[in-house]
Amino acid sequence: MTDARPAPEEEVVKHFREHASGEPPAHLDAFILSAAHRETATPKYSFWQRWVQACQKPRWQVAFASLVGVALMLALVQRTPEHAPTYDSTPAPNTSSFAARKESAEAPASLARSMAAPAGAKPAPAPAAPMADFSAPAQSESINAEMADEAKVSKKTAAAPSKFIDDQLREVIRLQKAGQTKAADDLMTTLHKRFPKENLATRLKELQKN
Amino acid sequence: MSASEPSDESLLARYRSGDGPAFEILYARHRQGLYRFLLGLSGKSELAEEVYQDTWLSLIRSTSQPQGRANFRTWLYQIARNRLIDHWRKHGIRNPLHDSYDEQVHALSDDSADPEQLLSLSRDTQRLETALHTLPADQREVFLLRAHGDLDLPQIATLTETPLETVKSRLRYAQQKLRRLLAEEVLT
Repeated sequence: MTDARPAPEEEVVKHFREHASGEPPAHLDAFILSAAHRETATPKYSFWQRWVQACQKPRWQVAFASLVGVALMLALVQRTPEHAPTYDSTPAPNTSSFAARKESAEAPASLARSMAAPAGAKPAPAPAAPMADFSAPAQSESINAEMADEAKVSKKTAAAPSKFIDDQLREVIRLQKAGQTKAADDLMTTLHKRFPKENLATRLKELQKN
Repeated sequence: MSASEPSDESLLARYRSGDGPAFEILYARHRQGLYRFLLGLSGKSELAEEVYQDTWLSLIRSTSQPQGRANFRTWLYQIARNRLIDHWRKHGIRNPLHDSYDEQVHALSDDSADPEQLLSLSRDTQRLETALHTLPADQREVFLLRAHGDLDLPQIATLTETPLETVKSRLRYAQQKLRRLLAEEVLT
């Protein structure tokens, strides 16, 4: 028969376990447990999970949106041609300056006015009218209106330059016949400047024959 | 701890991976034993509380695990012991655990101890504490690690970096002296 009682030495150990005192203070327990909760590691996520979570945070949304915005701006700047179009170069294939296009725009108007004016009724103003229109654009018109008209005329000119030239040449002929040689010469000079590649003299002769 | 209960090591691993309640279980298991070990070894409640707090905070903030053959319990008590020794060193207190002690001499007076006195050991906590503090520090340490840390002798030998036979003798002499002191207290 064996003795179930532990050895005398172990009895002392057991006695101490049962009757010793001493407990950590409650405030210390609370402090340590709260520290443990505070320091609890966040669960480990994969790279993409962490990326999605980060993007869901407002500050990251703002940062991400800013980054995208900057990238878009840079992309646009990179794609912009070096010589950005200004209103001076509004589509007008055969024009090179605002003044020239202004001339082309005003020319039909002056033509119409000179056509409408009775021959000889106002001999002096008639030849000056086209030149006056060239040198002094209508100041009452706004820049925007001018630009709109200019664009329209430019488009028409681009669509039918030969018709425009013919009309101008007919005006030259009319002025010559009316004895307004200087005005005719001025108009011809303007046409030469504007259409340097056109054989205006030959065309003028053809129209005179007709 | 039954077989169905998670081990200390698995609880620590769970806590490290974000399971907060795992720490509560771990803490509940060891809070009393660790505190009594430190209180018995230092003899001062303020110092015991300070080292106790440092030990747990160190464990909470550390990412390390018990190394080698050490289990969680050994590791925890090792941290606490090192912290206490650091405190003594920092405050210029000579480490009492390093005192050499002739255990043979102190064991002589216990030869005539009556085994029947075991039945009448004092349960008075004050007497228990007083008896405990009459032990030399190295004997007290081994006894406290055995009683409150529930460590076996090889673990105590590893933790204290002391030969196993020395640990055995320290524990034996400590137990004999405590038994005698407590029994005497009862008989007077």
